[in-house]
Amino acid sequence: MLHIENLVASYGNVRVLHDITLTVPKGKLVALIGSNGAGKTTTLRAISGMLAPESGSITLGGHEIAGLPSYEITRFGLAHSPEGRRVFATLPVRDNLLLGAYPRLTGARARGDVDADVERMFELFPRLRERSDQLAGTLSGGEQQMLAMARALMLNPEVLLLDEPSMGLAPRLVGEVFSIIARLKEANITMLLVEQFAAAALEVADFGYVLENGNITLSGDAAMLRNDPAVRDAYLGGSH
Amino acid sequence: MSILMQLVVSGMAVGMIYGVIAFGYQLTFATSKTLNFGQGEALMLGALVGLTAINFLIGQSLGTFWAYLLMLPIVLAFGALQGTVVEWLGVRQAIKTKSEAGWIMATIALGIIFKNVAENVWGRDALKFPSPLPEASLSFWGIRIQPMEIAIVIGAVGMMLAVEFFNRRTILGKAVVATANDRDAAGLMGIDTAKVITFSYALSSMTAAFAGVLVAPVTLTGATMGAVLGLKAFAVAIIGGLSSGLGVVVGGLILGVTETLTGYYISTGYKDVPGLVLLLLVLSLRPSGLFGKATIKKV
Ligand SMILES: Nc1ncnc2c1ncn2[C@@H]1O[C@H](COP(=O)(O)OP(=O)(O)OP(=O)(O)O)[C@@H](O)[C@H]1O
Ligand SMILES: [Mg+2]
Repeated sequence: MLHIENLVASYGNVRVLHDITLTVPKGKLVALIGSNGAGKTTTLRAISGMLAPESGSITLGGHEIAGLPSYEITRFGLAHSPEGRRVFATLPVRDNLLLGAYPRLTGARARGDVDADVERMFELFPRLRERSDQLAGTLSGGEQQMLAMARALMLNPEVLLLDEPSMGLAPRLVGEVFSIIARLKEANITMLLVEQFAAAALEVADFGYVLENGNITLSGDAAMLRNDPAVRDAYLGGSH
Repeated sequence: MSILMQLVVSGMAVGMIYGVIAFGYQLTFATSKTLNFGQGEALMLGALVGLTAINFLIGQSLGTFWAYLLMLPIVLAFGALQGTVVEWLGVRQAIKTKSEAGWIMATIALGIIFKNVAENVWGRDALKFPSPLPEASLSFWGIRIQPMEIAIVIGAVGMMLAVEFFNRRTILGKAVVATANDRDAAGLMGIDTAKVITFSYALSSMTAAFAGVLVAPVTLTGATMGAVLGLKAFAVAIIGGLSSGLGVVVGGLILGVTETLTGYYISTGYKDVPGLVLLLLVLSLRPSGLFGKATIKKV
């Protein structure tokens, strides 16, 4: 579904991604783990067009999307719940959700039933229903995180990129977020997940990739990575 | 007392005009963090195009009132087109290259060019704009008001409410607000933010052109009418804050009223001073404006 080959990306003169090759098969959940500053966020940004890659190929459902602007990539069905949530602070929760469906509402993607999907999001994230008329900027961090995920899902995406959906959440909410990810996986949504809680991420994922200093150093079955001694030492120790 | 009330009421109409132009500054600043320093020239061009259109329509033996109404869509369309041109020529490249000052020079330069073009097409003299409403003043409790002054206030408020309604109720309007909130995140929603910025320039010049034909019947029309209005409205945008719609209305009214008061109690020669003094005061005491949160960088 999503296929990345020899991706190279830089901020100015500083090369951050050296040579990333990675595949997210249809209906699967792939976890991308790595220490702070390894380039996980940058990888997602390059996929969704927030950062133009220097070279390499990114295909989504067979379409080459590398170097396209974000808004065009979105139309191919890529949703990105970005690092730091980035909800639209001065708009109410409901409008944030509707904007997630913008390509559907403006004819760039199959419309489907947008209202029913808003309702579906409220079922998945009941907190959002209670706060549907509240301005997104006044939500708590955890609620904003839920909103960012729900907003991304409103695209009816082919592939969903999730950048640290558990960041800054209380332990109980972290569990809730992971159970929602598990439910999305049951619904056959294709996902690429970046997580600081590597153990939990590899627990729900089908496959995993380990990113170190802009290079993929290990990849394979999530269960295999979970039991890999090197991975255990570097990423899983104590994060459970 | 009634003199004072008279001055306040008289200051309100021109204050609303300042408010609408300042509102136009806000529209582009919200989405792109850039301003059209030729906003006064957009107003002037709107008024002159409106003058040509209304005279043509009157020549088709239409009454002034109907000619004025028919002229409005022409002027609004022209304003939108003019704003689009400004964004294409002056701003787009600067935004792409993240240039801090390119757009300032470019929009000032375009303003000067528009003024020169106007001088060549319409001449240098101030021209009379046909008034769609009776020019005799009405009297309320001894306070005299021209019907056109009432129309200015209604038109200005109506324009701002229309934009507000569009932003809150339509998906395209929400896309504009989303772009103003967070341009990158708006892109992730599938919003073509470059188009949104062009659109906000079109809308901004459209409001200025509309302000031009609102104010033209009570002033005179000419190539030089925009410069001072644009500058004062800029002061209002700073006074009211670049992010608050209510701020520019209040700021505009404050300035309009202070001007008529100064003109009466001190001297018409000093009429233009209070705005600039207010501007300096606000800039030194409250750089984000009386109502605003955002500050403008390096201007
Ligand atoms: N906008 C930027 N400009 C310059 N350098 C940047 C920028 N964003 C990130 N970097 C650098 O790129 C490298 C990779 O950053 P990235 O955000 O992709 O890491 P990450 O793996 O997501 O880390 P974290 O777990 O802390 O979120 C870091 O060294 C970072 O300092
Ligand atoms: Mg990151």
